[in-house]
Amino acid sequence: MRSSFLAVSALLAAPLLASAEGAAYKFDRAIYFDEKEAPLKAPEGVACADSSVVVADTGNGRLLLFGFRDGTLGAGAELKIPQLPYPVRLQIDRQGDLLVLDRKARKIGKVDARRTFAGWLEPKGVADGSAVNPVAFKLDAADNVFLLDVAGSRVLVLEPGGKVKREIPLPRSGAFTDVAVDGSDRVYVADGAAARIWVAEKGASSFQPFTPEMRDRMSFPGYVYVDRGRLLVVDQNGMGVVILGMDGTYQSRELSLGWSAGNVLYPAQICLTPSGDAFLADRQNHRVQVFTVRR
Amino acid sequence: MAARVSGNLLLALLLLAVALPAAAAPDHKLRPGANGKLCLECHADFEAKLKKPSVHTPVRSLDCVGCHNPHASNHGKLLAEQPRAICATCHDVVPKNARSTHKPVQESRCVECHDPHSSVTKFNLVKPANELCADCHKGIVEGSTKARYKHKPVSQGCSACHMPHGSAKASHLLKAEVPGLCVGCHKTEGPIFLKQHMGYPVGKALCTSCHDPHGSNARGMLYEKVHPPVAKGMCTMCHEPPGSANRFKTRQVGANLCRGCHSKKMNEFQEKNRIHYPVAEGACLDCHTPHASPKRGLVKGNMVVVCGTCHGDTIRRQEVSVTKHAPIKDGDCASCHDPHSGQAALYLKTPDVIELCAGCHKWEKHSTHPIGAKRIDPRNRNLTLDCLSCHRAHGTEYAHMMPNLKTTDLCVRCHENLRR
Repeated sequence: MRSSFLAVSALLAAPLLASAEGAAYKFDRAIYFDEKEAPLKAPEGVACADSSVVVADTGNGRLLLFGFRDGTLGAGAELKIPQLPYPVRLQIDRQGDLLVLDRKARKIGKVDARRTFAGWLEPKGVADGSAVNPVAFKLDAADNVFLLDVAGSRVLVLEPGGKVKREIPLPRSGAFTDVAVDGSDRVYVADGAAARIWVAEKGASSFQPFTPEMRDRMSFPGYVYVDRGRLLVVDQNGMGVVILGMDGTYQSRELSLGWSAGNVLYPAQICLTPSGDAFLADRQNHRVQVFTVRR
Repeated sequence: MAARVSGNLLLALLLLAVALPAAAAPDHKLRPGANGKLCLECHADFEAKLKKPSVHTPVRSLDCVGCHNPHASNHGKLLAEQPRAICATCHDVVPKNARSTHKPVQESRCVECHDPHSSVTKFNLVKPANELCADCHKGIVEGSTKARYKHKPVSQGCSACHMPHGSAKASHLLKAEVPGLCVGCHKTEGPIFLKQHMGYPVGKALCTSCHDPHGSNARGMLYEKVHPPVAKGMCTMCHEPPGSANRFKTRQVGANLCRGCHSKKMNEFQEKNRIHYPVAEGACLDCHTPHASPKRGLVKGNMVVVCGTCHGDTIRRQEVSVTKHAPIKDGDCASCHDPHSGQAALYLKTPDVIELCAGCHKWEKHSTHPIGAKRIDPRNRNLTLDCLSCHRAHGTEYAHMMPNLKTTDLCVRCHENLRR
C-alpha cells in the first residue's frame, strides 16, 4: 500500500523525481490542539525562536504561543488580536517581538514581548508613493524587513521602523510567493508558477535566475527558508520540501503527500530551531508537524 | 538547341522522379509485368479504388511495393516502414522552421485525413475538407455554420486562411500573421473602416483580439461576449480620444481603470480573507480581455489555459489522470474555485467540500461510506471525512481520481485492522 501511495505522490506531487526521496526529515510529533484542546484550523505560519515557537492558526484567526526547551514542547496558549483576524506568516525579531502578516488586513502587524498589538509596520518613503500589498516578508540579522509587494511588483527593504532603504523590482513575469534573505544579504524570491528561485546579489538592483525552471523538481514553491548554507523550499502543491544548495543546485526532496503523521497536505511556512527541529505548518492537514532534521 | 537540351533535362528529371520510389524499394525479382497486377489477383477491391477520381500516384502506377513489403513486416498493413517515413519519402509537407504544425502531422497520423490509396475527394482526403476538419474542430465548424454574421472565407473552406500541414509564417497554421492575413481583403486605410472603429486607426492591431474570424452572432463579428463600452462604441470611456497623440493610452492604469465601473465588485473582493494573486497585483488583464471574448466574464480563453499560465502543475495532474474531472475537462475552473478572492486557501466557492461536490454529485447514491462533520478521519484527528479523503479533485494516475490502484488499498489506509 505504501509503495503505491508513494508512487502517486511521486507522480502528482513531484512529477519527475529523478533523485531518491530524502530521509533527512524524521517525524517527531504533531501539534493538533491548543492548551484547551481546541483544534488547529488551516495553520499557515510558524516561527521559531531559541525557546519558543509561535503558530499562526490562520483558520481560527489567532496565534498560539508554545514554549520549546530541550525538546519539550509546552501547551499552546491562545493569543487573539482583533487587528490580526487572518494571520498567515510570522517572524520573530531580535527583541522577541512578533511580526505578523495578516492576509485580510494586507499589512504586517507588530506584537510586542508583552503580546499586545503594537501597531502596523507601514512602509515610509516608497519611491512612487504607490500602494503596498505584502504577500510575504522576512527579517535579516539586523531586523531589516524584506517585504514582497505584489501591488508594486517589487521587494521593499525596510529599516525596522519601516523606512524604505531599497526597492528591487521583481522579474517581469511570475507568480511570486515568498522572499528570503541570507547572511550575505542576497535576496531570494520564489516564483510559484515557473517553479523557479531568483536572486538579487548584495546591493543589486535586479533579480537574476538562481535556479532554472524546476517543474520536474517542484510543483509550486510557496516558501523559502535559508538554513545553514542551503535553501529549504516548501513545495506547496508538490507536498514536500525541496533542498537547494547555495549555488541553486537541487540536492534532495523531503516528505510527501498524505494525511497520516509525517505526510503533508499543502505545507506552508517552515522554521528550524537551533537544535535542528523543523516546525512545518501543514495547512490542509490542520496541524503543525515537527521533524528532527539530519543536517 | 537550347529548347532540346531543356526538354531532355525535363525528361531526365521525370524519369528520375518515377525511378526514385522504385530505387528505394527492394528488388523482389518479380516476373516481368507482375508488379501490382500480381497483388490485384487477391486484392480485387482495388479495381474499384483505381476508378476513383483521386488515386495516389504509386497506386495508379501499381507500385504496391513502393509502400508495402509483400512478405513480412514489423509494421501494420505490411508497410515497409513506419507510416510517416513512407509518406515522407515523397511528401515533405511541413516547412522548415514551422511556426505551427498540425497535430495529426506532428503525430504521423497522415491516414486520418488522407486515404493512402484513392478517394473521391481531392488530395486523397477521406472526406470533403470542411467535413474532415469538423471531425476534430466541431465547435468551430458548427459555430461558423450557425453564425448570424458569417465570414466569407470560411464558406470557401478552412484552407482559405489555414495551411493543412504546417505554417512557416504564423501560429494556428495561418497563411500569414494577423493582421497581415486580414488586410489582404480588408482595407484598413479607408474612411469606412475608420468609422467602424470609432475613428481609431486599428489597422495594425490584432483583429482577432475582438473579432471572431469564424463568424459570430454579435454585430461586427465580434466575439459573443462584448465589453459594454465596446458594444456601445464608447471607446473613450477607457481610452484617450481618437484624435489625441496618445489615442490608445488608457485613461487610468491597470485596475484603477476597471474600478471606474466595477468598484462594487472589486470592493467585495477586498472583504474576503484572501485575494487571488493577479487581483492583488491589480492585473485584471492577466485573465480578462478588455474588448470581446468568446468566454463568459470576458475571460481571455479556456480557463484551463488561462489558469494554467500560473497553475500549470495542477493542470498537468488532470492531464495524467485516468479519470478526467468534468469541470477541468470543460475548462470551468470557476465551478469550484472563486478566481478573485476567498475566505480560505484554495479559494473554494463553498468551504464545505461535501456541499461543493454535491453541486454535481449525489454522494448518497455514490457511496454509503459515512462522511460529514461528525466522522473523524482515523489518520488525522483534525480532519473529518469528506470526498477528498478518498479522491483528489484534479485527478490521479488511477481510476475515479483515487490515490490507489486497488480500492482495497485505499480502504486499508484507514481500516488498518483489515489489512492482509
